[in-house]
Amino acid sequence: MLVFLTRRILLFIPTLLLVSAICFFVIQLQPGSFTDRYLDDPRFSPETVARINAQLGLDRSPVEQYGRWVWGIVTRLDFGFSFFANRPVSTMIGERMVWTVVVALVTLGFAWLVAIPLGIYTALRRNGFTDAVASFVGYVGLAVPDFLVALLLVALVLSYGGTNVGGLFSPRYIAEPWSWAKFLDLLNHLWIPVLAIGTAGIATVMRQMRANLLDVLHADYVRTARAKGLAERRVINRHAVRTAINPLVSMAGLQLPELINGTIIASIVLNLPTIGPMLYDSLLAKDQYVAMTLLLFASLLLMLGNLLADLALAWVDPRIRYG
Amino acid sequence: MQMQPRGFTLLAFALIFALALASVASAQPKTVGYPGLGIEPGTPGGPLTLALPDAPPRFFYYGEISQPSQLLSQQMFDSLVEYDLETYDLIPALARDWDISEDGTVFTFYLREGVTWHDGEPLTADDVVFTYEQIITNPEARAGDAAQFTFTVEGEPRQVTFEALDELTVRMTLPAPSPTFLLQQRFFIMPKHKLLPYSVEGGAEPADINDAWPTSVAPSEVVGTGPFRLSAYVPGQLVRLDRNENYWKVDDAGTPLPYVERLEYLIVPGTEAQTAQFLAGNLDQLNITGVQFPDFKSRELAGAGFSVIESPALFGSPPHLAFNFSAADPVLAELFSQAEFRRAMEYAVDRWRVIDDVYNGLAELPGTPTAPVNAAFYEDTTDLFNMYDLEAAAAALDALGLIDTSGNGVRNITPGRDLEFTLTYGSDSAVFTDIATIIQNDFAQVGVKVNLQGIMATQLLGTGMAGDFEAIIVALGNQPDPELRKPIWQPGGALYYWHRATHPETPGDPPNFDAMFDWERRIFEIFEQGSVEMDAEVRAANYREWQRLNAEYAPVIMIAKPGNVAAVYDHVGNFVYSLGVIPGYNPVPFYYRR
Repeated sequence: MLVFLTRRILLFIPTLLLVSAICFFVIQLQPGSFTDRYLDDPRFSPETVARINAQLGLDRSPVEQYGRWVWGIVTRLDFGFSFFANRPVSTMIGERMVWTVVVALVTLGFAWLVAIPLGIYTALRRNGFTDAVASFVGYVGLAVPDFLVALLLVALVLSYGGTNVGGLFSPRYIAEPWSWAKFLDLLNHLWIPVLAIGTAGIATVMRQMRANLLDVLHADYVRTARAKGLAERRVINRHAVRTAINPLVSMAGLQLPELINGTIIASIVLNLPTIGPMLYDSLLAKDQYVAMTLLLFASLLLMLGNLLADLALAWVDPRIRYG
Repeated sequence: MQMQPRGFTLLAFALIFALALASVASAQPKTVGYPGLGIEPGTPGGPLTLALPDAPPRFFYYGEISQPSQLLSQQMFDSLVEYDLETYDLIPALARDWDISEDGTVFTFYLREGVTWHDGEPLTADDVVFTYEQIITNPEARAGDAAQFTFTVEGEPRQVTFEALDELTVRMTLPAPSPTFLLQQRFFIMPKHKLLPYSVEGGAEPADINDAWPTSVAPSEVVGTGPFRLSAYVPGQLVRLDRNENYWKVDDAGTPLPYVERLEYLIVPGTEAQTAQFLAGNLDQLNITGVQFPDFKSRELAGAGFSVIESPALFGSPPHLAFNFSAADPVLAELFSQAEFRRAMEYAVDRWRVIDDVYNGLAELPGTPTAPVNAAFYEDTTDLFNMYDLEAAAAALDALGLIDTSGNGVRNITPGRDLEFTLTYGSDSAVFTDIATIIQNDFAQVGVKVNLQGIMATQLLGTGMAGDFEAIIVALGNQPDPELRKPIWQPGGALYYWHRATHPETPGDPPNFDAMFDWERRIFEIFEQGSVEMDAEVRAANYREWQRLNAEYAPVIMIAKPGNVAAVYDHVGNFVYSLGVIPGYNPVPFYYRR
């Protein structure tokens, strides 16, 4: 087990290097430069741009820029600084991390809580009316992009005279200390992103759960369990569902990077103070170290998620063992 | 007040008078009122919530050129002079008065007495000198303006010098006279007692000034003299400013300004999200565009509780169509360099349709390029415009020998080559997209094939500067004095992007005069003269000639000048439109809650 873990973690290093190198290369290919944003200001002068480029190290060769960035990470865990905010990237990410994690966890939790029972239910009543309706709704949820659902929800709230049309709080609560009213205000705002972003997730998980359970229901051991005279409830819950749910564990692992880049557009539309919009802005503005750190972080989460899923699988499924 | 040459004795007298006054009154509040703009005495109290289009990168104005920093700094800081909201004249702000020496090189500013920083420290001449010497003219300050204070005299660069004559008097000595120097003194004054450690004077490296006031700073550290002070920042969500109860402005009735207790700047990027927040009542006011007008107006008429307000704009950016004289393709470059060709294409630009259909009527015919509302400088050149006339366009193209010889409906530049080019526009802007489509259709009708290429609107100017386009739609801002836009409109200037052959080989050298047309050389001279000519009438006459040359030779084809459009809830009183980012133009202290 330890050998397996060490090997997997060591494999992270070349992968992350490769990912970051490719990201850096692609960002360099993007037209324009960070200082383009200044051009229209009356204070603009070519000398200023030259100075700024020198301050930011943009006058060095791309290879040198990349090398220095990686060296900073390796030697002192310094992920560089944001050109725009003139602050270390790590503190900027930290500022938005809490809300990012909260929104992602609540959304994931909501999607799974709805999807798994629904998947079980539709599998047991295969080809029935409920199955058809749930499948249809599921497909629509998959097909409609989350940001569109978000926009529709906002339009709906507006047409009913609501004020919770974006962000996580009403303006008057944002800078206030926590209170019961502020918490209720949060809930009143949170349901829109949760519903908008969660819908697509529900469909995926539900379809997967339904298919798995259908496979399992025809397996020999389920028939054996029934033949033993176990109650149907027990057969389903104890034997069928426990096995059918395993593949979903690895799916959960793959959803970790969604924390950052899964919901960028919906987060922008809903004006959420999360990391997604930050990645989008940094890519547009060529704020390269912010963009690269976030992309690096996303790929690290993907690999970590994979690893955790593998470990969790080994734990829940007695058939899997790592040498 | 702007130009009052006085002798030394007068100056000395003024100084004595100022000192005498100091002993009489301890504070010198400034009374302001604009009945002409419909501003009435307001009632104090209540918060107002406004939109901030992005999270501020930091709270230090000179550390980053960015819209949110500019919007917030406008409320937290003051400058020596500011704009009259109605006439755009320069009026006293932190400087209650000033003198200009007869030769126009010595400016003496007398500071208002009794002005304090938000932490209670008094504002002194030292703060002003510090701001100019250590920040604005520090070439490493990312949003400083060192170039503005470096004059070239007999080929040598010379600096403006700053001295504090006493507690409340600042003298600036210029190497040469400058007619627009006073106009530039809308720089926000910064507190020396807070920022000294980041300056060279305080022992730091020049570039360290950019480290001042990151967004993680304690709000009490960010002190200005402005109508509001920083109270709280919630990353990515909200900036809260509280009323400065010691502000130095009072209204006509003697009530201290600003009226409102608090400004909440809700961080909402994107037009759609801002619209939703405004309609939901979470924003009290929102600047919109003519494109959004029908939607807002119909809601207003349905009784939504807000009004849509329009006014002609001085600031703001009129779009233009530019052809690249220095296009990579030599055949197109040759064609685009001909004024006759550009004037022919001008016939096919349907300005009225853009005004009516794109801006929903909330725009006017543009100046070339001065804003029509700018009485001091605007020259009405519309009689020189080639207004929309497809037959005239076709005839003019025929006369240039651009005839469809291949019979495919597209004119030919040479027998084997169609008259076809790419038009670059900002595809994330509804305005640019509509204008580009209208132009493409109309040009096709006169046998000119246009291929559209959409890029991000923020990258238009960068693409233009790189010369990586054939034709492009760009919008560049108007300012009260053409001198402020010299880098754009003077041939060879850093932003004169449509004719890059006029640029000097190495930045800083004289431009390439050989590449200039005669009319470009004349425009170059007008701008050179405009920087030194002290006679306001001569300057205005010269700039009027420049606008006629622009209309006649169409270096770019000006399309329309959009007006100011804003939506304001009825409970907001004294609303006056502002972009928020023009230093010294700030009506917010007058806003009040009904």
